[in-house]
Amino acid sequence: MSTQQGQDAKFFQRGKIEEFRAELQAAEAKDKKYQKRKTVLKKIVANITMGNDMSPLFHDIIQCIGTPLLEVKKMVYLFLVSYGRSKPDQIHLVIPSFLQDCNDRNPLIRALAIRTMSYIPIPVVTESLSDQLRHCLKDRDPYVRKTAAICVAKVYTADPRKAERKGFVELLRDMLIDDNATVVANAVAALSEIGDRQDGVIFKLNLTIANRLLAALGESSEWGQIYILDSLLRYVPEHHSDAEMMAERVIVQLQHANSAVVLTSIKALLYLMNYMENRRLIDYICRKMGPPLVTLLSSGPEVQYVALRNILLIIQRRPTVLKNDVKAFFCKYNDPIYVKLAKLEIMYRLAREENAREVLAELEEYASEVDVDFVRKAVRSIGRLAIKVEPAADKCIESLLKLIETKVTYVVQEAVIVTKDIFRRYPGKYEGIIPTLCENLDALDEPEAKAAMVWILGQFADRIENVDELLDDLVYNFLDEPAEVQLALLTAVVKLFIYKAQAEVTKALVHKVLKWATEDIDNPDLRDRGFMYWRMLAMNPSVAAEIVLAEKPAITTDSDRMDRGALDQLLLHTGTLGSIYHKNPETFIRNAAGRELVDSPALNANSRAVLVSLTRPQLPSTAISVQGPGPIEPTRPSPQPDEVANKTPQPILVESTRSDERDLLDVDGDDGAGGDSGDGYPDGDDDVAVVKAADPYAELGGAFGGYMTDAPQPVKGGGSRSGDLDDLLF
Amino acid sequence: MAIDGLIILDPAGRPIIQSSYSCYPTAYPMLHIEALNNALEKALRGGSVDPVIYVAEFSCSSACCHVEVGGMRFLATISGDADPLIAFAFLDTFIEILHDYFGTVSLATLKDNFDIVYQLLEETLDSSGHPLTTSQNALSDIVLPPTLISKLLASVSPSAPGVPSGRQGGSFGLTGASGAFASPIPWRKAGVRHNHNEILFDVVEDMRAIVGKNGMTLVSNVFGKIESNSKLSGTPDLTLTFTNPSVMTDCAFHPCVRLQRWTRDNSLSFVPPEGRFILADYQYKPPQGAVISNVPIPLSLKANVDMGEFGGTFTLTLTSRSMKVMENVELELYLGEDAISAQCTLSSAGSGVGSVGSADGSWTFDSRKKMLRWEILNMRSSGSWILRGSWTSKIKAPRPAHAFQIRFEIPSFSFSSLKVDQLRLSGETYKMYKGVRMRSKGSLEWRW
Repeated sequence: MSTQQGQDAKFFQRGKIEEFRAELQAAEAKDKKYQKRKTVLKKIVANITMGNDMSPLFHDIIQCIGTPLLEVKKMVYLFLVSYGRSKPDQIHLVIPSFLQDCNDRNPLIRALAIRTMSYIPIPVVTESLSDQLRHCLKDRDPYVRKTAAICVAKVYTADPRKAERKGFVELLRDMLIDDNATVVANAVAALSEIGDRQDGVIFKLNLTIANRLLAALGESSEWGQIYILDSLLRYVPEHHSDAEMMAERVIVQLQHANSAVVLTSIKALLYLMNYMENRRLIDYICRKMGPPLVTLLSSGPEVQYVALRNILLIIQRRPTVLKNDVKAFFCKYNDPIYVKLAKLEIMYRLAREENAREVLAELEEYASEVDVDFVRKAVRSIGRLAIKVEPAADKCIESLLKLIETKVTYVVQEAVIVTKDIFRRYPGKYEGIIPTLCENLDALDEPEAKAAMVWILGQFADRIENVDELLDDLVYNFLDEPAEVQLALLTAVVKLFIYKAQAEVTKALVHKVLKWATEDIDNPDLRDRGFMYWRMLAMNPSVAAEIVLAEKPAITTDSDRMDRGALDQLLLHTGTLGSIYHKNPETFIRNAAGRELVDSPALNANSRAVLVSLTRPQLPSTAISVQGPGPIEPTRPSPQPDEVANKTPQPILVESTRSDERDLLDVDGDDGAGGDSGDGYPDGDDDVAVVKAADPYAELGGAFGGYMTDAPQPVKGGGSRSGDLDDLLF
Repeated sequence: MAIDGLIILDPAGRPIIQSSYSCYPTAYPMLHIEALNNALEKALRGGSVDPVIYVAEFSCSSACCHVEVGGMRFLATISGDADPLIAFAFLDTFIEILHDYFGTVSLATLKDNFDIVYQLLEETLDSSGHPLTTSQNALSDIVLPPTLISKLLASVSPSAPGVPSGRQGGSFGLTGASGAFASPIPWRKAGVRHNHNEILFDVVEDMRAIVGKNGMTLVSNVFGKIESNSKLSGTPDLTLTFTNPSVMTDCAFHPCVRLQRWTRDNSLSFVPPEGRFILADYQYKPPQGAVISNVPIPLSLKANVDMGEFGGTFTLTLTSRSMKVMENVELELYLGEDAISAQCTLSSAGSGVGSVGSADGSWTFDSRKKMLRWEILNMRSSGSWILRGSWTSKIKAPRPAHAFQIRFEIPSFSFSSLKVDQLRLSGETYKMYKGVRMRSKGSLEWRW
């Protein structure tokens, strides 16, 4: 470090406490204009920066606090901020100087003094701060007032009840009508911080104050605007007209240059829309939100990433936003991978019959790219597109076949995995391509692809001529295969036997596999399933056939959207960490305050129907273990109040209709996902649906990858959600 | 809503400067630094680390948002229900402030001026995570920029500590903050004086486009920016009008612009800040009625790429379709991880008395990044340039990127032909010099 050129770099040499002490003492004499002290202090501050403990100099340094040179004073204060809290026995020595500075003529010094004091949470300091702070909150200089406002939040953190007793909250509230916009904004920030605490007073806005805050927007700095816009979520409109009028004033802010202001405005608008009645206006607002979101995509990749994750949420709740802008999400070769994956997800969401062609052309393009991960997701998206948009299915299959011809291993494997789902979505339509798939059997080396292929072989065993040979080859390594493949093989072989019970080869094959599964395998799932098949086949082969080859429910991607109530709640966190990970912050961030949509006469009926009331889960005190890049839900199921469980008839319905099929499905065990890979990948025909009914956030699991959630799901009973665009308007 | 603090890491991943983190355990910043360094290490390509990294150790759950500047990483840690976008917006603003203060942001400048960086951190970010004063105008009153003069005075004669006071008259007691915060307009300080009053506008339009294999434009967007540099005395109230304001859509404005006024009559009414600022961002939408909503691309590329075993050959023809001269045209192709070398010849054809020679263009192959680069410094209107060549690869079936990246600049040109009608000044009586310049650039992805 010392080799750095430049005059100040020498300060970064490691210094010794004793030397500094001596230098400080020497500086007391003949210090023209305090330049010597300034130099020593600079060295000391540099050492603090490097992480060297300078606290032994405490006593020497506080001697300099009276130095009438702002730069010296600032460095002394910097030192106190770093070490003040660790010297509770000596800090009282500084208090007289603090008090003096709190009454200095220079507003900068007054502000500096209260700010530093608020950083030192030691009783003597907080005690003397109280009075000073009260004066400073009414200081004639706005710089002091705005600093004092923030200090209140810190005093409150130190001792909430005491701060309340001393009337600081009221003082802050009075500042909401200060004539300086920066002061107003900081008061809002402080009140929000206090209101977000679980032990804090509740911070709510009434119409009058909300309007005053909106009026202060124009003169605020961008940060002030963010605080003010965010605080609008603390205002619960009582009448539709209030919400509508307020939204009209917020819309203007969409033209702000700061991306955070834009996203916070969108958050406020999304919130206010819940309380509106005028369809036209809602539609208008949705259209207004699109362009600024697209503009965010011209920013740096970091902002793009945050924007994209939020867009993904927004378009699920308000599909009309960006409905015609799928092109804005086309990936560029040079986009970072995290941006590409997020864009891919949005492209899939925005795909409709009208734009399916363009989207497919893009996906084909991506499938020829270099990045393996991206190529895989692109191939898989082609399959999902086929499942989502029926008229485009033919084209998608063509394109998948072309990709299989490339013989690139990972492309083939992904294609096989999605093809399996396509077979289930459109039974009897595309089985003609099975021979092509069979030609590529040797290319499959990943469990998921192998299991998918084995499922296809078993399911269509009656149409594939040499299926017994193929399966015989596949079971060759049965004992070494991963459980996922073993389960698939077991079921496939049983299906084969049911189709071709006469053939000796099949008999031998099924016998061999059942014997392995029940005798040589330790995995209980596999063993149990083996026994079950064995007994069924032994007792009544024709009933076994009915069970194993039972008609499967067709799958669809209609249900891949999040639960409406959960979405409404999550959108209150637009722009925040919660919206990046698609989870409510209180579930994975300690001390984060949850937010809920509050009922009022103005709340529209559809939002009310799915209202999710806030449960304040007590987080386990231990760290939450996190897999992968994003947080996961705490494993302990949080208690759900009855209203939540009963709130949507649909999931309940799902549970009941599904329970009829469950036995069959489990017996069938068709995709092998029923085992320890219980988070069943594409079929999701295990317990997932049941969990869903109990926990509104269950569907959000793994949302970070953004991939699992969108796996095709069996058609849910009853609720056909076809009229999406209209339904979600309110 | 809270940024916990800010840490600046040197290229080796060691912290150089960090905010005080006084409300957090001492290990807190280190945990985030480690999390980031681990993530960076894991990532093969530098740019592909998620910009928001979730940190869940140590019973605190938080995240770090990071950006890279001049080899260093600026890292903002956020916790609670915080907004990563605020963190990024703040990082951008802070880096912009450092630029304003030091000219460049590098390891050396930060180390040279660490005390100023510290003060800036203190003033811009409160310890409980609220961004405070970030307006350059207000900041320069509280934290003094290291102007050449103050540096000279400080080093030459220790008897001149009053440099801070130079402009304010008495560094202590009397003035101080009031200058910055007493101003009724947050982005402009009171009492600015210039001998020569001028304001300059640079309209910069940036085209981003994707062209498909068949030569059809898939997407093309033009994002415009009005960069301004104002040196005006007093409190000038300006009104800027355009002859064709309708070409600007999806505008975003500097806080100084009166939004209601723009909504009413499409004129920009504002009291400008001092110095450089971006007055407006907009997107150019071609006039209604055009069949295709895409903005035409001012050049075309014909690419013939033949892939062989262990390499391939290509012939690229680049033709200007612009009426103006294009500058610094640059074409890049990633030849794949296994590319070894490339060999090319250049030629140019087309109208005019073009001279074939090195002045017309040059090519290089970056063997580290596996990037073939072709540059043409000056591309006259409707001329054609041809690059023929071949490359070799270690593997039998080479996998080059299927898209060329093309960048270009066109001076004195705008895609939108936005035209300033007039700039009126009220509130002050002096005469000012006004200037408007147009400039365009573009970055295209051309697939083959």
